[in-house]
Amino acid sequence: MTDAAIPVTQSAVERITEQYLQSLGCTIEKQDNQWVIASPDSTHSELLTDGLTLVCGDEDDVGGRDNFEPLHPESAFFQRILSQASERCPTGKIAISSAGNDIRIPEWLRQSDVEVSDADFAPYYDRTAVVILYQVTIETVSEYQSEFLRAIALDARSEEFLPPLEQTFLELTSLDGATVTSDQTEIDPTDARELLDTANERLIERIDETIDDIHHEASRAADAEVEEYRQMQQQRIQELQEKRSSLSSKVDELSERIDSSEEAERVEALKKRKELKSELQDVDAELKDIRRLRDQGFRERQSEIRERHALDVRTKPVTLTEVEYERGEVEFELTMGEHRRTVTVGYGSGVGVTEAIDCASCNEKFSDHTHLGSITRGLKCEDCASLEESRHG
Amino acid sequence: MGSYDLVDVEVTHESADDLLDSLSGDSDSEDHIQSVQAVRLQAGQPDSELRSLKQLDEDSVKLLEHQVDAAYRALFEMDGKALLADEVGLGKTIEVGMILKEMHFRETDNSVLVLTPAQLAKQWQEELREKFGLDFVCNYDDEFEGFDNHDYIIASIDTAKSERHRSTVLKRNWDVLVLDEAHYVKNEETDRYELIDNLTYNYAFFLTATPIQNELTDLYNVVSLLRPGLFGTRDVFHQYFVNSNQETLVNRNELQDRLNEVMIRNRRADTDIDFTDRTIDTRTFHPSPAERELYQAVSDYVKGAYSQDQGQKLVLMLLQKEVVSSPAALKETIEKRLYEQSELTHAEELETILDRIEAIDAVTKQERLLDIVEEARENVEKGRVIVFTQFRATQRQVLDRLASEGYTVHSFHGGHSSEEKEQIVEDFEADGGVLVSTDAMSEGRNLQFCNIMVNYDLPWNPMRVEQRIGRIHRIGQKRSVYIFNMALEDTIEEYVLDRLYHKIDLFQQSVGELSSILSRLEESGTSFEDEIFERLVNADSEVDLENNFDDMAVDLQEQRDLADKLEEFNSGVFNGFDLGASDD
Repeated sequence: MTDAAIPVTQSAVERITEQYLQSLGCTIEKQDNQWVIASPDSTHSELLTDGLTLVCGDEDDVGGRDNFEPLHPESAFFQRILSQASERCPTGKIAISSAGNDIRIPEWLRQSDVEVSDADFAPYYDRTAVVILYQVTIETVSEYQSEFLRAIALDARSEEFLPPLEQTFLELTSLDGATVTSDQTEIDPTDARELLDTANERLIERIDETIDDIHHEASRAADAEVEEYRQMQQQRIQELQEKRSSLSSKVDELSERIDSSEEAERVEALKKRKELKSELQDVDAELKDIRRLRDQGFRERQSEIRERHALDVRTKPVTLTEVEYERGEVEFELTMGEHRRTVTVGYGSGVGVTEAIDCASCNEKFSDHTHLGSITRGLKCEDCASLEESRHG
Repeated sequence: MGSYDLVDVEVTHESADDLLDSLSGDSDSEDHIQSVQAVRLQAGQPDSELRSLKQLDEDSVKLLEHQVDAAYRALFEMDGKALLADEVGLGKTIEVGMILKEMHFRETDNSVLVLTPAQLAKQWQEELREKFGLDFVCNYDDEFEGFDNHDYIIASIDTAKSERHRSTVLKRNWDVLVLDEAHYVKNEETDRYELIDNLTYNYAFFLTATPIQNELTDLYNVVSLLRPGLFGTRDVFHQYFVNSNQETLVNRNELQDRLNEVMIRNRRADTDIDFTDRTIDTRTFHPSPAERELYQAVSDYVKGAYSQDQGQKLVLMLLQKEVVSSPAALKETIEKRLYEQSELTHAEELETILDRIEAIDAVTKQERLLDIVEEARENVEKGRVIVFTQFRATQRQVLDRLASEGYTVHSFHGGHSSEEKEQIVEDFEADGGVLVSTDAMSEGRNLQFCNIMVNYDLPWNPMRVEQRIGRIHRIGQKRSVYIFNMALEDTIEEYVLDRLYHKIDLFQQSVGELSSILSRLEESGTSFEDEIFERLVNADSEVDLENNFDDMAVDLQEQRDLADKLEEFNSGVFNGFDLGASDD
């Protein structure tokens, strides 16, 4: 599953900053690595000050001058740009039409030896989908914290899951290839909420493996900690036992002295014995306590550790894009040697093939793993094709 | 790996109200794509490239691809906690240098503690300064004022764990901890392990070529210090990964996956490191009778004085080294003792030594040096030769002699400013001739344009010898390298050369291999220089002396064999991973 994040390179930083400032109505005069920004009076943004100059690249070049701001991936100015730009318009609508877009050949066909000599898409009707970008945070003890951004695409009516559309969406909104324009959404907030609920479920299914990996790591760490605690307590028990036996022999020793000594010494010894006995009681109490806890498997401590290592998975939808796309049928003209065959299959612009096709022989569905192998006697998967070939010599 | 159900997973879907509100808002939808891009950039990794690399001086350090890669992975893919376990000689110190440089650049290194075996501490300090411009104070420096008074410290791990410093070291919250030769903390019952276990730090880089010393538990211990819990409990680790006879691994693939999260191991075979040939020519000469008498007189004095007062060890050791370097070097120290420090106990002996120095007309080594430089003048480009000596007085004498014979000479020592040093090296490259240098010649200097080096005298610390050689025999040297060692017969130098250095094949070892041998030696509680000196002064006869040095050679050879064996063992274990072979 593709990560929706874009690597923050200096050129990406400069590109989005330029676009954002221009969208605010600013003009930018570039002199080497310095950009002098002029903003119209009507623009109200706390980012913009009179005579603002951005210095691209290293912070060292700014040298504490007034109105000079460094512009690089970690600069505070850039972070503010990102934060304002991301909040400005989190919802919108785009359209993916078949016109001007290449037909997306499915993987089972692309990876095949069969050649696609022609492909023709006939759109029959418009459909609406939504693509939601989710921020996902998986947090446990800081060691394993993980943050990522995921796209989930659903058909707005059927709630059908459209993974290829996610990819198309990410390509269309990349910094390099963003030629698509956006518009006001038309989707009803109530419908959108329902779609979000479904998307939430889909998202968790999609990141299940990641959660599982982190869960294993956290569990191992917790297990090690419990074990360490157990060993520590075992050690404490041993120490207490030793202390107990030493106290106990001292008490015995004193008892003997008490029986055999003079009055004054006896009183002293009695006093001492009393102290030691009380200490012995404390040791006994502590020992009893630890043993009891041990027999119960240190339940409280375990649950405390378990709680601390627990995974906190948080998801937050951050953008929602309504995507208008076309559905219809695509006709693939297939060639393999001298054999030709035409296949017509359900298709959506930006979505790709929407219909599953089975191997004529084994009925296995063609997929990323099951490629088309032959078109001579119907569409057959690679396995069946090679079996057939060996049979027919 | 076992069934783990200890911890809960709680999933929270945060409210989407803000997002839904914006559906009915009047925001300018044209900017939606920009918002999507901004969100995607917010989630992107902040420019994860080594931005400090361009600040490095290419002449000081030549970075190799596997080193840059390791530094990158340790910083950005392992979140700053990594076990750097390259095979020996691939430059783990350089990798850490890069990491520290990058952290310095990004200002995430307010306090850095580098713990090394004692013998390597100064070398670390030099390398980080020369190659990366990073200034660290070392616990052996005069200005070292304790672990709470400096922010960038290189210290011997044993100093750090000592009663005197332990609590201060533990009290601080270090940003970065570097632990060299990390396999020495493999045993969880030692003070060293306890120190590292109790240290507080945000980032840690452990270095070792041999993570496994005896058994796989070593690996468990070292990795658990870095990433507690990665392998679960000790028992589970054993049950799951180790066959009961301790010799074979099971579930290798999973072990490899886990290790990949924390360990980087480059193998020599996978890198393109290629060194040219190195030819060693050790020349021993008959000393003149006067030189022989002087050597004997000094050795007798040293032996006698040491037996009376062991507190003078350092100065006595110095005299013993100087007498084989040059009469001039010896003379300065003797005069200082006599006239400045008013040495009275042995005044007569010292006066005699001075007389014997005066009696020397021709210095044999100096005369024989002329043969080497003449040979070079006839055979190599611009007759470039570097002559190394430990002593300034020797340097002066050699320079005078060479100049008087009409050679172009250059002098390099610690007293020059950095600009001057730069100029000297440039002049040497341009004009050719002989550069006579003390060991102040930094490692960072680029001297690959010269391929002949003379050890006019011999440091007793093998690392020093290797460092000298490393200044010309390094990546980028295109010609074969010739090393000439000069020694007088039947002197300490001959013993060190013949019995020790040649026996361990010192002149063919790489720095990495040497440091692993020396660290092993140190582990057994020995300093190389002290060992040489003690064996020298404690010998009652010539035969005794020979036996003493033979013993030491045997020890060294043993350490070397052990180091080789371990390296081989670790290669075996880790190579098995790469092949994906599994015993299960």
